[in-house]
Amino acid sequence: MPNGLDIPFLIDTFFVALTGVPIAMLITIVSLLIALPLGFLLALTRINRMPILNQFSRVYVSFVRGTPVIVQIFIIYNSVPLLLGTIFEKYNINMNVYEVNPIWYAFIVFSLNTIATLIEVFRSAINTVSKGQLEAAHSVGLTTAQAFIRIIIPQTLVVALPNICNATVNLIKATSLGYAMSLPEITLKAQVAANASYNYIEAYIAIFIIYLLICSLVEYAFKRYEKRLRKYQIAPAA
Amino acid sequence: MEKYFDATYIWESIPALLPFLKVTFMVAGLSVLFGSLLGLLLAIMKLGKNKLSQQIAHGYTTVMRCTPSIVLLFLIYYGVPAIFINFGINLNDMSSAFFVVITFSLQFGALMSEVIRSAYESIDKGQYEAAVSVGLSNTQAYGRIIFPQAFVVALPNFGNALLELMKEGALAYTIGLIDVMGKANLIIAGNYNSHALEIYIGLSLIYWVLSIMIEQFFLKLEKIFSKGRKDLKTA
Amino acid sequence: MLEIQNIHKSFGETTVLSGVDLQIGKGDVVVVLGPSGSGKTTLLRCINFLEKADKGEAIFGDIQVDLHQASKKQIQAIRKRTAFVFQNYNLFNNKTVLENVTEGLIIGRKIPKEKAIEIAKNALNKVELEDKYTAYPAELSGGQQQRVGIARAVALSPDIILFDEPTSALDPELVGEVLEVMKTIAKEGTTMLVVTHEMSFAKDVANKVVFMDGGVVVEEGPPKEFFENPKEERTRKFLRRVLPDDFIYHI
Ligand SMILES: Nc1ncnc2c1ncn2[C@@H]1O[C@H](COP(=O)(O)OP(=O)(O)O)[C@@H](O)[C@H]1O
Ligand SMILES: [Mg+2]
Repeated sequence: MPNGLDIPFLIDTFFVALTGVPIAMLITIVSLLIALPLGFLLALTRINRMPILNQFSRVYVSFVRGTPVIVQIFIIYNSVPLLLGTIFEKYNINMNVYEVNPIWYAFIVFSLNTIATLIEVFRSAINTVSKGQLEAAHSVGLTTAQAFIRIIIPQTLVVALPNICNATVNLIKATSLGYAMSLPEITLKAQVAANASYNYIEAYIAIFIIYLLICSLVEYAFKRYEKRLRKYQIAPAA
Repeated sequence: MEKYFDATYIWESIPALLPFLKVTFMVAGLSVLFGSLLGLLLAIMKLGKNKLSQQIAHGYTTVMRCTPSIVLLFLIYYGVPAIFINFGINLNDMSSAFFVVITFSLQFGALMSEVIRSAYESIDKGQYEAAVSVGLSNTQAYGRIIFPQAFVVALPNFGNALLELMKEGALAYTIGLIDVMGKANLIIAGNYNSHALEIYIGLSLIYWVLSIMIEQFFLKLEKIFSKGRKDLKTA
Repeated sequence: MLEIQNIHKSFGETTVLSGVDLQIGKGDVVVVLGPSGSGKTTLLRCINFLEKADKGEAIFGDIQVDLHQASKKQIQAIRKRTAFVFQNYNLFNNKTVLENVTEGLIIGRKIPKEKAIEIAKNALNKVELEDKYTAYPAELSGGQQQRVGIARAVALSPDIILFDEPTSALDPELVGEVLEVMKTIAKEGTTMLVVTHEMSFAKDVANKVVFMDGGVVVEEGPPKEFFENPKEERTRKFLRRVLPDDFIYHI
């Protein structure tokens, strides 16, 4: 292809790939909604050294952070049908495990992955919010639950926000691996479009631009939000 | 197609995969080497006074942070030969390792530039002032006082960047590199796609142990270098 | 021995020093007083070239330099004759106490290692840290750190030591030990230029007090005269604010 880029194809692919954005965003949002509360709760079990749950979280985080996402995807993608198949057989449920919409696998994989990241994010954030805050809340008569909801969690979120932003950007990028689950997200759509004409460069430039746009927007939104939060709240000294 | 779970496949896959760590290490090692050099250059640009080169370096880092590895990998794999063919250089027969190293050097460089920049900025400028006030030259102040302290601050972040590189590197199989990941896929294909789960579990165990080893290694290093210097570690 | 003439320094719009003159003789202890923000730190930093003055001259024994455009060589020459004690100590965090003191001797002054260690140990013994040679700064209290800072300066046997509020980062109960050390080296004849808010030090140890405000020297003189009989209204106002009522009579 010494004659330069096929610009019309690039533009076409850009719009084809754009139709994959909603799925990528859906996965991102669902995974975050699942992972944020679970990550926070498991972070608490780590901090309070709750027996069993603490050890479980530790091993879990270590495994997820120690292995490539693509390998995690392959493990889930290959094990869930096996599990479901056994269950369906046992209870005589008449359903084909291979007809499950791959988006369910995506929800599972990316939630599990993000939970591990957020456990660590929240763990260090909670540690920076001083113990004095809880004691002060108790001293004015708040219960521990009230103290958490009204004092600790809001402060933790401010501290954790930059890292949550990172986790979100990483999550969006990781959805590009949805191809491994035949998920029609941004990357797969562009690949399919390119397969017909071998215009791979154009296809990858198109999705490169899309990811750049989405991730910059997300980072910008987080920065704006962080600024607003900091206006009302004095960030606790790290 | 057999679809039952057989754990013996896990234990059998591991010795078959391990030799291919050599390829993983070689590609990662070269990427760390070139990426660190690039990161140093970018960090110097970011810390320098020239506004334009600051913006270029920051822009580059943002672009890298926003690009999924697999997209960058394919962009390099198809793009670099297409650019070079315009100069009459044919790269189509280059080994895929070549493109993998380019990709991850570019990515690692962006990560390292932030590691170096933040380590440098974490050192109080009073350290430099004290150094020149006792008669050290500019170069001596940096070489003997600033850099050794920045190095300790950078160590854990360098370790994290290395782990990140190793995990993202697993995607190199998509352009045909036969490292541990690539070999795992070959084994599965050889089994007519049966027992993929067991092989991937074996593979994940290899990565997991490797990560723990790297992590422990850096914890040790950190301990050695920050011996008795508490505020360096918290800086 | 050290003469500073007509130093000017601005940071962007804010003028910090507008024509400061200073004479310091050999063995003098000159204390600089002044409200916060009056440019005391900036003055010291300009003398040691940690800040580049916009204008001004320093006459240092036989060398005379333009503070605005000194050559690298001149800067090194002046720095060889001066030492700086910082408000927040600035000990080298990656070096032990002993290494903090030898660093300037071995690397800056090219003194052989053996000899440098001997000098450093002497200086550290003087500030009563003979049991801390191998400790790292992070393992010391603030008072101990500042005493290392002073030892580091003394060991260089400079013509003058510049002190920038050496006790103001310390807990009150640690101030005494540092002032004691400063008194000792002053008695040994060390030339010192000291910015401080410790009025008793100014009164007991200094042989000249300089009062700065708004980037100029408002008044200067021997401590007795300065405290008992200040000439300028601005000085009186400042002293009323910072001195306990019975300061003059008590000390
Ligand atoms: N690097 C700098 N940049 C801008 N302004 C500065 C800088 N250093 C000092 N200043 C300003 O110069 C003034 C004098 O500062 P300083 O010399 O530290 O006063 P002092 O030591 O008497 O309290 C202050 O208003 C301070 O804000
Ligand atoms: Mg000051």
